Amino acid sequence: MKLLATASAVLLSAATTVAAQTLDELKNDGQLNDALKTDNVLTYGMGYHQQRYSPLNQINPGTIKRLVPVWSLSLDNNWGEQAQPIVYNGVMYVTNARHTVAIDVGSGKQLWKHTLDWPADTPRVVCCGVSNKGAALYNGRVYRTTLDAHVLALDAKTGKELWKTKVAEWKDGVSLTLAPLIANGVLVIGNSGAEFGVRGFIDGYDTDSGKQLWRRYTIPARGEKGNDTWPQDNNAWEIGGGSAWITGSYDPQLDLMYWGIGNPAPWASQSRTGDNLYTSSVLALRPKTGEIVWHYQFTPNDAYDYDACWELILAELKVNGKMRKVAMQLNRNGFLYVLDRATGELISAKAYEKINWASHVDMKTGRPVETEIAKSIREMKATEHWPSTRGAKNWQHAAFNPKTGLLYANTLHEGRMYKHLETKPYERGQRYQFIENLPLPRAADQPVGHIEAIDPLTAEKKWRVPLMDFQIWSAMLASGELLFTGKETGEFIALDAATGKQLWQFQTGSGVNAMPVTYTYKGRQYVTVLSGIGGLYWNTNRERLKDIVPQGGSVWTFALLPD
Amino acid sequence: MDLRAVAGLVLFCGSAAAQSPAPEQIQRGAAIYERNCSPCHGARMQDPQGAADLRKFPHNERERFITSVSRGKNQMPPWGGMLKPEDIEALWAYVVSAESLYGH
Repeated sequence: MKLLATASAVLLSAATTVAAQTLDELKNDGQLNDALKTDNVLTYGMGYHQQRYSPLNQINPGTIKRLVPVWSLSLDNNWGEQAQPIVYNGVMYVTNARHTVAIDVGSGKQLWKHTLDWPADTPRVVCCGVSNKGAALYNGRVYRTTLDAHVLALDAKTGKELWKTKVAEWKDGVSLTLAPLIANGVLVIGNSGAEFGVRGFIDGYDTDSGKQLWRRYTIPARGEKGNDTWPQDNNAWEIGGGSAWITGSYDPQLDLMYWGIGNPAPWASQSRTGDNLYTSSVLALRPKTGEIVWHYQFTPNDAYDYDACWELILAELKVNGKMRKVAMQLNRNGFLYVLDRATGELISAKAYEKINWASHVDMKTGRPVETEIAKSIREMKATEHWPSTRGAKNWQHAAFNPKTGLLYANTLHEGRMYKHLETKPYERGQRYQFIENLPLPRAADQPVGHIEAIDPLTAEKKWRVPLMDFQIWSAMLASGELLFTGKETGEFIALDAATGKQLWQFQTGSGVNAMPVTYTYKGRQYVTVLSGIGGLYWNTNRERLKDIVPQGGSVWTFALLPD
Repeated sequence: MDLRAVAGLVLFCGSAAAQSPAPEQIQRGAAIYERNCSPCHGARMQDPQGAADLRKFPHNERERFITSVSRGKNQMPPWGGMLKPEDIEALWAYVVSAESLYGH
């Protein structure tokens, strides 16, 4: 009896080990050390640092002509695919707004599928495309967020729902599309909804029970430090935006998470004088408590929808001869920021695109110096504005190659005729923006965006490929000597990272606006990307794209054809 | 949008067409549109890059308009849970007035 019990306990623990997935594995994911397991992709951004870089080099400029699809799987979804796949021990986990799917990496066969059913009118409170950016994996469970503002845990083996927690009421304007972050054992998420006048937050949850451990509002309450950057004679701070809709990065040594905070609400700024902390900022937070250790605000009193939610890429850079631990961001406002990630000290802030709202960032105060253009916008005049509210770069994540020391990004080259309208009273769950944003005439030789390699400290371009037809709204993957990204018109492409020259492309079944990953399976390098047009670009260019790009989600996995 | 200008234009044009919607109804529709519809259908129905060009919506298909807005269509969510029937009628009044308001 005793022996039997022991035997079954051993069996049980062996089974658990197979399905488990530990904090150490998360820490080592994407780290260039001996513990790097190229078979797995466990974190958003291919490492807590969000570098989206892999040293794998089987697929390289010399072999890429043999890169072919090895399988494709339909995701049975027309809402668009933006997710980054997670890969663990030969199983891939993929999400979209409707489904969570587990796939056998070797065969491409679907192992299980979990389907969500949110109310049909939920998309009313989704500003920029019904989507989901991926799952998190920890301790044998798959975690994800839902459009109607829930977070849930599924058994990684079976897809069975283990718990589901309501985060907020979607009818208040809150939605969730981001991939959760597991940091120091805590499941951390942020919200969407600044376009509907929500008060943004970042939450910590217990991974076992789904119980909320803490909530950190991104706008301090009355009496809290920072609330004095909001008007004291109205309630603008309670409806002031500051979503956190892109997964933060994490430094396990410093035990700090870095979350980019979104734009204030409404976009028109008359009713919210002051800097409006912590909107359009970065927060460095403790994962166990949500405590704010430092902050830096990129765009004080943001009048331009200059969200700062994008990836904060963590790296070691040589600054004035000294190695510094930095966090970098290609901010929507057109400046490329490098911050000391232990202290929040501003190291560099250089323009990387055409900017007319500010002349430069004052390195003493850390504040942008606004121009006459900014004044004109704030005076509610229709004004030619660069970069437009969509930014010099939107969410399409950049990659960083620690060997070249360069950032690789899909950037936007777009100005618009921008005008603040008179602000009207807040209405629950309704748009809270009050702007007009009309296109400018564009010369035929003016690009709409670029694929580029950028030096983080100088913002100097090593190379720049102009895009003349459609912008790219797909993340970048730096894979050895190559870059992978995708186009709205369906092409999944590979470039030579040294020159930007396109070396390869494959036409997928729909538009690509997702996050490619690379990993190994049985010693062979694979690249996977989701195809399925959706998101903001589709939302704002549907009339141009609808007759040339069909909807429909699928997963595409590529490997080299053997010799 | 300057709603006073809208109202003025509507008053001006109103005399020409006997069956035009009431100016206050158009104004109400314009306010609802500005807030909830312009993000996809474009400010003042201009720049409809993201959704159907409402300037081209046939004026004799009121029922289809009301149904689409109430129940949703393609990527457009249903608005019937938030907007009252008279709100959607006001939107229709605004949409059919596009040409007289903006000259397109």
